[in-house]
Amino acid sequence: MGEVIVVTSGKGGVGKTTTTANLGVGLAALGHKVTLIDADIGLRNLDVLLGLENRIVYDLTDVTGGRCRLKQALIKDKHCEGLHLLPASQTKDKTAVSSEEMKKLCQDVAQEFEYVIVDCPAGIEQGFRNAIAGADKAIVVTTPEVAAVRDADRIIGLLEAAELRNPKLVINRFRYKMVQQKDMMSIEDIIDILAVDLLGVVPEDEQVVVSTNKGEPVVQDERSRSGQAFRNIVQRIKGEAVPLMNLNQNGMLSKLRRIIGLK
Amino acid sequence: MASEAKKETTSLPEKALSEIKSNFIDSNTILVQRTLRAGQKIHFNGNVVILGDVNPGAEVVAAGNIIVMGNVRGVVHAGAEGNTQAMVMAFRLQPIQLRIANHITRPPDEEEMPGTYPEVARIKDGVVTIEAFSASGER
Repeated sequence: MGEVIVVTSGKGGVGKTTTTANLGVGLAALGHKVTLIDADIGLRNLDVLLGLENRIVYDLTDVTGGRCRLKQALIKDKHCEGLHLLPASQTKDKTAVSSEEMKKLCQDVAQEFEYVIVDCPAGIEQGFRNAIAGADKAIVVTTPEVAAVRDADRIIGLLEAAELRNPKLVINRFRYKMVQQKDMMSIEDIIDILAVDLLGVVPEDEQVVVSTNKGEPVVQDERSRSGQAFRNIVQRIKGEAVPLMNLNQNGMLSKLRRIIGLK
Repeated sequence: MASEAKKETTSLPEKALSEIKSNFIDSNTILVQRTLRAGQKIHFNGNVVILGDVNPGAEVVAAGNIIVMGNVRGVVHAGAEGNTQAMVMAFRLQPIQLRIANHITRPPDEEEMPGTYPEVARIKDGVVTIEAFSASGER
């Protein structure tokens, strides 16, 4: 029986889908059997991030509605052996699936895979309740912004109310320089408010936009810093203790070092 | 617990004792043993003691006093049914808005020093006043 992990945030645009895609590819790259479930029904884009859009025949609502078998709807990833995607429907909305159906679906998928990662939609309505219905663990994604942290706090409260205790936190789009200039919330500020365990910090990286558009998650890019951050998070999900990476690598000297290959 | 409290208070002058009794000793008190997160609200017809923080977006409304053994960053309303004697005490008092009875206050818009010590807010001469909390200070 595999582990069902929901990736959620409350606020939109903080990087839930990006995180889901990268963790999925990262875990699969280490040889694990992984399925990603896109629970953002009506606004699917996990398939786009993975570059699998053109392979979708059946979707999540077809499985829960009994119009196809689970195996038929699962799409094999093109880069990574062992990674599968259960896409969301683009033509229906959140009410097309009930929490019970989602719970059953997660259990069915977890029978065959080691990790099931559910990409949660933004908001706290039916879509959110569906996404967390079958989850054993939760990862909360936030950015160092007051509004995102506020929403993350609300989400953590709702997760606790749903008996999903001790969610893990991923801080995305972190800018070390802005924190130093006191223009952005620091890791300490965020942890102080949210009071949850930190799973990782992903630095702001333009490469993410490029890789997202190409459908090749950044976690596969050995040279990318955000990719390294995601690889570290993958290790931590597996239960290994990896120290936080040095986030201060934006100076000229370190840039130069990276260019000449000294890392 | 009750007998212990009594032992301490008997050494105080009679007048102070009765004042403390009327203002602060009330059996109608709840203990909240967790942090209140955004969107969570407590409404209680008595005193509220919170062992945790009150985060931004959370709200505590009490007919009596509010004591927070943590950081107040949300909205707190003591004496919500008109008790102007009510007070708010917290280890760190940084509320978005603080209300006592029918007084509504908010921190000044300019940069202010974050409270790094326990403080207590109460109405003095018709104005909500925030002072450092001292256990031995005048009540």
